[in-house]
Amino acid sequence: MNQRTWKRELNYSLFIAPALLFYVLFSVYPFLSMFYYSVTDYTVRKITNLSFVGLDNYKHLFGSDLLRTGLKNSILYAVLMTVFQTSLGLVLAVFLDRKLATRNLLRSVFFMPAVFSPLIVGFLWGYLMSTSDYGLINQGLEALGLGKINFLGDKDIALYSIVFTQLWQWTGWAMVIFLANLQSIPKDLYEAADIDGASGWKQFWRVTLPLMQPSVNVVAVTAMIGGLKVFDIILALTDGGPGNATQTIMTAYIKTSFNEGFYNRGAAFGVVFFGIVMAITLIMMRYLSKWGEKIR
Amino acid sequence: MRKASITLFVVLMAISMALAGCSGNNGSNLPNGGEGSEKETAEKVKVRLAYWNKEDSVKTLLALIAKKLPDIEVEYQFIDNKQYDNIIATQLAAGSGPDIVSVSPSASTKYAKLGYLQDISALADRYNDAGKNVYSADGKLYAIPGISWFEGIFYNVDIFDQYGLKPPSTFAEELALHKALKDKGIKPQAMGAKSWEPMMKSSMGYVMNEFLAKPENKDFDVQFGQGAKKLADSWVPAVEQWSALIQDGYLNEEMLGIDYDQALDEFATGKAAMWESGPWAMEAIKKKNPNIKVNMFPFYGSQPGPGWLIGGPGVGFAANSKSAHPEAVMKVLDLISTPEGQQAFWNDNKGGSSYLKGVEFEMPAEYEGVKETFKAGNVYAPWNNWGDNAQSLIEEYGKRLQEVLGGSSSVGDALKGTDEKRAELSDLGS
Repeated sequence: MNQRTWKRELNYSLFIAPALLFYVLFSVYPFLSMFYYSVTDYTVRKITNLSFVGLDNYKHLFGSDLLRTGLKNSILYAVLMTVFQTSLGLVLAVFLDRKLATRNLLRSVFFMPAVFSPLIVGFLWGYLMSTSDYGLINQGLEALGLGKINFLGDKDIALYSIVFTQLWQWTGWAMVIFLANLQSIPKDLYEAADIDGASGWKQFWRVTLPLMQPSVNVVAVTAMIGGLKVFDIILALTDGGPGNATQTIMTAYIKTSFNEGFYNRGAAFGVVFFGIVMAITLIMMRYLSKWGEKIR
Repeated sequence: MRKASITLFVVLMAISMALAGCSGNNGSNLPNGGEGSEKETAEKVKVRLAYWNKEDSVKTLLALIAKKLPDIEVEYQFIDNKQYDNIIATQLAAGSGPDIVSVSPSASTKYAKLGYLQDISALADRYNDAGKNVYSADGKLYAIPGISWFEGIFYNVDIFDQYGLKPPSTFAEELALHKALKDKGIKPQAMGAKSWEPMMKSSMGYVMNEFLAKPENKDFDVQFGQGAKKLADSWVPAVEQWSALIQDGYLNEEMLGIDYDQALDEFATGKAAMWESGPWAMEAIKKKNPNIKVNMFPFYGSQPGPGWLIGGPGVGFAANSKSAHPEAVMKVLDLISTPEGQQAFWNDNKGGSSYLKGVEFEMPAEYEGVKETFKAGNVYAPWNNWGDNAQSLIEEYGKRLQEVLGGSSSVGDALKGTDEKRAELSDLGS
């Protein structure tokens, strides 16, 4: 490496330094600390003179019903959110890319819920789905002669009810991302497909969908990671209940670490959670990039 | 070379500015003297008070502090009860947190042991033992006891009168009352069982009558907290008898989809004839329905008697040992520990009683039905004697009862699960 190249490299490195410093300070260092705490006896009662306890905290993780339920629910939630948010967002985007008189109004209406805080959405849907005499949806069902549905109080359907509210809130956001991508697809490709006699359905599968790959990647990966981290809407709608039926990774993590004071077990869970999110994200990215290569 | 120097300079400036922005220094940490202290004396001292009840529940007290202590500004912070311990414990562990911390007796003991709270024994002589004992550790007072709290069963007097019904005096009569109301097409009881709290308290109300009130069980709670006794060995018969409310459908799975506010709405608007709650709900009930006539009866057991109310010393106000304004905090606590301060606090919590020596308040008409219970001194919250982990234990117990209500667990399993949680929490150490 000659002196000139070395200087150039040094310049670049110096520019990267601030970002790197922040990354180390706020990502790498906390993660390493978390790993360190996960192999100690760090609890709310023992915050100094920590002792090394090996993999005890990890062993406890796999025996804990709460954490197992949290893991199962988070994965189910994330998969449902990824599949439905992506597919419904895509359908909405394709429909609202057409020349409709109410197109702009409808786009705003579908996007609007994404503006609200999940806590407000939780409060709103908590009332709508309530089984009390003031629950609007159940009042409607009863007026139609149907029985009440215990959306948030039945352990078998509470998680699906939460997924529904989140699809209501976030499908519009996915739609906006897809719309931006749709509008960048050259119109002459559709004209060529028309000349070749391709039907609307065929045009969607052969032209639209393959060229939507970049935005599908963004929406699917963010939905998956966001889904695995879900916390606020669970807190607002069910607080992990009934019982522990809707606990997720994050609510179980907060309960173990801060409500109960097992910082060490919480840290072990954080380390395992990091591994799970990384593995799922890598598999997804790999699958999506293969899809991208296939359609090119 | 010049280019490299400029780059180096820019980068160093960016790093130093960023690090300066991250530093925790603020005005309050400045050494005394100079411009900083002049500004400090000219401005009011800001003291943050965090509490799990809404500001309405202390508005008269806050007005009194503003009037009597003009140099102190109390910044009120409401944190929902669901996450209160969580947030406060995290803040205190980080060496921050509110200057005045509202605590329950178990949280007070826990935080005192961890050194988060200031010793405020200077105020101890003003309070009677019943109030200050639960907020003391190792002979030192760590929080001043507020107005006592209690929870019983509110009933709508007009609905009872309309159908010629009377409040019960035993649990069997309570079940018969539920049946009579249900037969007449009235929802007997509203319950926000989406929260783990109401069933936890309701079942303990029965256990207090049937088990804890017996002289031979007077130390049960302390022993359970220490791990010497188990709920599954002692409470099963009582909780199973209480669960008749579930078996007969008066508490049902639908209630798991209803929260506190929605249950309050049902009771206040006359859709349900009874609702388990306490004095803090009265203002909201009257706001929803100013014409409602309300009375209360306690939790009963199988035998007639004065019954029991769930309750005890209310919120404790503690001083954060890391507060930047310890003198201002003590002034506020001192004011609360006067008859005037207690009166102001009681004004928004009518029904409870004060632990300040020589201070007594008249019981409002809404609590006429529990007068005998108070006279007998039957106000108790078992978990106040369960030790430092009480909050996690009552949550576990309540959540397990939600599973019983949902039909996926039995009373025996719920109590066994709570015992297991107690054993697990002992891993935290002492």
